[in-house]
Amino acid sequence: MSRIGQAISEIQTLESVSREDRWMNRIHPLSKLCLTVFYIVLTVSFSKYDLAGLFSMILYPAIAFMTADLSVRDAFRRLRAVLALVAVMGIANPFFDRTAILSFGAFTVTGGIVSMISLFMKAVFTVFAAYLLIATTPMDDICYALRLLFVPRILVTLLLLVYRYLTMLMKEAGRVTDAYLLRAPGQKGIHFRAWGPLAGQMLLRSADFAGVLYESMLLRGFTGEFRPTFRHSLKASDLLWPLGWASVLILLKLFPLVSVLGRLVTGNWN
Amino acid sequence: MNDLMIESRDLRFAYEKGTDVLTDVSFSLAEGEKVGLIGRNGAGKSTLLKLLVGLELPNTGTLRIRGIPVERKTLSEIRRMIGYVFQDSDSQLFMTTVEEDVAFAPRNYGFSEEEVEKRVTDALEKVRIPHLRKKSVYKLSGGEKKLASLATILSMTPDIILLDEPTVTLDPGNRSNLIRLLNGLDCSLFIASHDLDFIWDTCSRVLILSEGRIVCEGPSEEILRNGDLLRKNGLELPLSLIQRDRCK
Ligand SMILES: Nc1ncnc2c1ncn2[C@@H]1O[C@H](COP(=O)(O)OP(=O)(O)OP(=O)(O)O)[C@@H](O)[C@H]1O
Ligand SMILES: [Mg+2]
Repeated sequence: MSRIGQAISEIQTLESVSREDRWMNRIHPLSKLCLTVFYIVLTVSFSKYDLAGLFSMILYPAIAFMTADLSVRDAFRRLRAVLALVAVMGIANPFFDRTAILSFGAFTVTGGIVSMISLFMKAVFTVFAAYLLIATTPMDDICYALRLLFVPRILVTLLLLVYRYLTMLMKEAGRVTDAYLLRAPGQKGIHFRAWGPLAGQMLLRSADFAGVLYESMLLRGFTGEFRPTFRHSLKASDLLWPLGWASVLILLKLFPLVSVLGRLVTGNWN
Repeated sequence: MNDLMIESRDLRFAYEKGTDVLTDVSFSLAEGEKVGLIGRNGAGKSTLLKLLVGLELPNTGTLRIRGIPVERKTLSEIRRMIGYVFQDSDSQLFMTTVEEDVAFAPRNYGFSEEEVEKRVTDALEKVRIPHLRKKSVYKLSGGEKKLASLATILSMTPDIILLDEPTVTLDPGNRSNLIRLLNGLDCSLFIASHDLDFIWDTCSRVLILSEGRIVCEGPSEEILRNGDLLRKNGLELPLSLIQRDRCK
């Protein structure tokens, strides 16, 4: 399969995973969305030197991944590009922030190193939390939840259309490059001289295609609003999961797990 | 007057100024009637179908669906009555799974979830693809896409179904299923195709479109047996008729 084909099938797989009939997938999208936002805000709010506190935040993704029966390995594989980007972002910190925080003999840990690690941890945790939401909630339902939170309809519809067109666009790109490569045997990649016409073709074709798809939606009664596929309204049991986690996370924020454990072991409460 | 489903008078249409695709198209289609539209490549068959659902609007002339003129402000009413199966199925399907796509129209028309569920099941069974229900639309074969497209239209139970080259990607088995299915429907059908055998099997009346106008219309029996007329319009006698005549 071509790389584009693989990308499309990744999106498809994730989408079908989110539609499977599992316990996590059945929780109301609004609950999951709110919990995810809450978790992200809380995680980001940790001080950049508070590694111990931040570390306890791993509890939510770790347990939720297990509960949702999602593969951590697949998640790492799918998110590798994002994670690599994040790793690059923090890499300059050690050069700017050289205040020593700790030293073990000859080895000094500077503030820069700690903040680099905490930045990386924050990014990984939040990206995984977002992945968790996407892998357990179909896009239409996330958008439905956004509407319940009074996000303007036009924005939500835009988001959905972009999501629909994304796959179309990638498919179109796949077709154009396949057609090119079939008539350019023995050539690796696309010659730069063909980039211009190919990109132009792509643009025209996908604009055209987006138009036709939109027509197809109109012909079947589309009036600017997607109907959620979600069947039931918010029940008390839907609140259990987010409220339970919210309390645990607040406790973790107030009493970091690592230092509490440390104090228990050493018996030093001061 | 209202038992006329489609009524087209002196229709003229051009994509680009100066080059008319349709110059003068007049015809009508009665309730429950099944009519074939034939003509060479580029004759304007797909264009005519697009005009009928208001994807394009005529430059001059009048077009009425159940007595309602096709205009910008009547489009939603018109489209509630017409189902259009695209020539290119890729343009038709846009949701992730077949099920979602078939449920798209009934959901938009505000049916209850039970009703939507029922319509999806019915439509998939009619086109005989219940096994593809959960499948991603990107992973369907060409013929499967065609059948899924048809299901997305059947689930909205329209009064008129327009089909653009419905048999192009179908294998012989599915082609005969389609014939059986279409013959069993109560709604009006308007089918654009070069597959004259298919038109012969499904339609009672035929229109020939050429150079922007309906050059000939009449019962299938009459038109599809007229070899000279067909050849003049870039078409051939249906194979089944040739064979039948040979056997005699
Ligand atoms: N979007 C467009 N812009 C400009 N011209 C177009 C467009 N679509 C079609 N045409 C032209 O209009 C004419 C009729 O096209 P149409 O697709 O209606 O033919 P058709 O009878 O359906 O042909 P086929 O049997 O090949 O499907 C053709 O000459 C075509 O080149
Ligand atoms: Mg056509």
